[in-house]
Amino acid sequence: MKKTKRTLSGAAILGVSALLLSGCSGGAAESDSNTLKLWHFESETSAMGIAWEEAIKVFEEETGATVEFEEKSFEQIRSTASQVLNSDEAPDILEYNKGNATAGLLASQGLLTDLDESVAEYGWDDALAPSLQTTARYDEDGIMGSGPFYGVPNYGEFVEMYYNKDMFAAAGLEVPTTVAELETVMKAFTDQGITPLAESAAEYPLGQLWYQLALTKADREFVDDYQLYTGDVDWSGPELTYATETIKDWTDAGYISTDATGFKAEDAGTAFINGTYPIFFSGSWWHNRFTTEATGFEWGTFLFPEAQMSPGSAGNMWVVPEKAANKELAYEFIDITMRPEIQALIGNNGGIPVAADTADITDAKSQELIGNFNILTERDGIAFYPDWPTATFYDELNAGLQELINGTKSPAEVNKQIGGQYQSGVDDIVG
Amino acid sequence: MSSTILDPAAAATVAGPPAREPRKRRSSTTRKTLGDWMILLVAILIGLLIAVPFFLILINSFKSPADYNAAGPLTLPTDLYFDGMVNFWQRVDFPEKLWNSFFISSVVAILAVLVSLLNAFALGIGRVRGRTWIVLLILLANMLPQEVLLYPLYFMFKSVGLYDNQWAVIIIFVVIQSAFGTYLLASVLGTFPKEILEAASLDGANKWTMLWRVVYPITKPTLSVLVIFFFIWTWNEFLIPLTFLVSNASQTVPVSIAVLQGDRLMDVTTTSASALLGLLPTLIFFLIFQRTLTRGITAGAVK
Repeated sequence: MKKTKRTLSGAAILGVSALLLSGCSGGAAESDSNTLKLWHFESETSAMGIAWEEAIKVFEEETGATVEFEEKSFEQIRSTASQVLNSDEAPDILEYNKGNATAGLLASQGLLTDLDESVAEYGWDDALAPSLQTTARYDEDGIMGSGPFYGVPNYGEFVEMYYNKDMFAAAGLEVPTTVAELETVMKAFTDQGITPLAESAAEYPLGQLWYQLALTKADREFVDDYQLYTGDVDWSGPELTYATETIKDWTDAGYISTDATGFKAEDAGTAFINGTYPIFFSGSWWHNRFTTEATGFEWGTFLFPEAQMSPGSAGNMWVVPEKAANKELAYEFIDITMRPEIQALIGNNGGIPVAADTADITDAKSQELIGNFNILTERDGIAFYPDWPTATFYDELNAGLQELINGTKSPAEVNKQIGGQYQSGVDDIVG
Repeated sequence: MSSTILDPAAAATVAGPPAREPRKRRSSTTRKTLGDWMILLVAILIGLLIAVPFFLILINSFKSPADYNAAGPLTLPTDLYFDGMVNFWQRVDFPEKLWNSFFISSVVAILAVLVSLLNAFALGIGRVRGRTWIVLLILLANMLPQEVLLYPLYFMFKSVGLYDNQWAVIIIFVVIQSAFGTYLLASVLGTFPKEILEAASLDGANKWTMLWRVVYPITKPTLSVLVIFFFIWTWNEFLIPLTFLVSNASQTVPVSIAVLQGDRLMDVTTTSASALLGLLPTLIFFLIFQRTLTRGITAGAVK
């Protein structure tokens, strides 16, 4: 009994001393007219992290203001932004997710500052290709594509083919330039007992491949109908029928393993890194990781053959909360991040700058990546992501494609099912 | 006599480390039957199953990303790799988070047990009318999903100026944890021997002395188990600290671990390392207190 008493009172003393020592920590920091409170969620070793650290330095030198930077978690900004931005704890500028459900929602709630005047003053719109502006502008219902600017993206992202050069060379294969050639390449690997495509149907990769296949038959009008609700999407039309049937055909031919139903994106990515699969169709966000971790073989990238458009978008963007104390400083900071030298830093560290001078990019792998991105933006080929239209479509699409791969549903049935889910979700939004 | 106040959780801690004497006696008097061995086998299997996630964390914490990519999550690391842990430590200023978690959890544990005891004294010994309904009402704090509580709490604490303040989290968890504590202690005190209370009141003890001189010493083993549980539960909380602790300087360990989860990519080895760092303090805390606890409880039982 004595021991317990001592332990308990020990704990009590610790608790009380904690009370005394800490006092009232975490209280509100006083906002100062010469301080820029800045939040973002990029790690300091990532392309954006490196570039923005430099931008902070330049900003402090030029304006004489101090930057009060906090690295937040993606999860924290995602799940608490609407609460924080509605309080006095709001920062002056933060990195925030683009999209109807995120930036769009906050814009429609009046929590974000309308940036139109600053965009005109600083000319940021001249630096951004039209398809990159789509995710920065929101109308009064929070739907992207039109209305005032609420954010400024610094970087872009897109989806392309990663391929294992060593495995291609060993099989005597060339980079395909048509879908027919791509199928020949995949057939050659299957004949050797190698599944060619690293895929994951539990997460985004297969959905993006499916969307890419639809895009090979699509034009900008289809994308606008699908993404911006400007018209009806025909789920038994040529684009989506081709996409779903091709996924089915490729699975039947062994190009996609039926095991993919249980794989996550991480599994598919690491399987590409360790050389299990020769081809991985996924986003530019893997580029940096492959550069540092896929060191056992040579790899390269190419855009999906015969497609004018690919999944992709502007990246997450700078937004200025309506409650920000120092908006002018925030605009000046955004302008610094759009300068060629800061943009070049993003490009040289594995990111995709939106407004870089390609001549400033020195790294060969990065040149290839940014070159592909620039090809896409120049031909207006950024087509966003398949799950964007409604909040629940990501899971619905994955579930549909899983059923397609494991053979429980035919392509027509899958299209009917996800088409119905898509339409009811869109009806809820458009009204 | 105090064996009546042992709750199942306390009983489990007693059963934890095999008490040496009874086992010796038992093996010398009775032979183990096949059934005994089967039960032991099943127990070991279940124990292993429970330990699997922990082993996975342990293995992957010391693996380099290259090693992880090549061999996957299930193999042993080829050589020990500490960079992940060091990077995480520096990136989030881990000692600061450790202190925040420790501060919040210990204050909550102590205050919640105190509130539980006071509530339970009124409900269990005071025999308030309609106590079942009161207990049920209090338990609502525990039964409601935290997502439901989030917005009302946010507006309440914002209007009193405690948003982005550790005291908001402390107040919320004192209430939530003491809801469970009240429920448990009220039923424990409901069976408290009347004779003792009568004897005390004959000696002229008022309610206050009765609580601190009679009830408190006897329920102490149960209370200390509650302290440990409240500490660990509060330590592991994520959603409410995430919402209410806006500044990095006031955040807790689980919230800081979330920094590693990116938009699309995850870093398995560093995440494991951070999980291990987050888990170790609770494990150490439990091991320290669990030993003294069992001694305290058995000592009480003999007396």
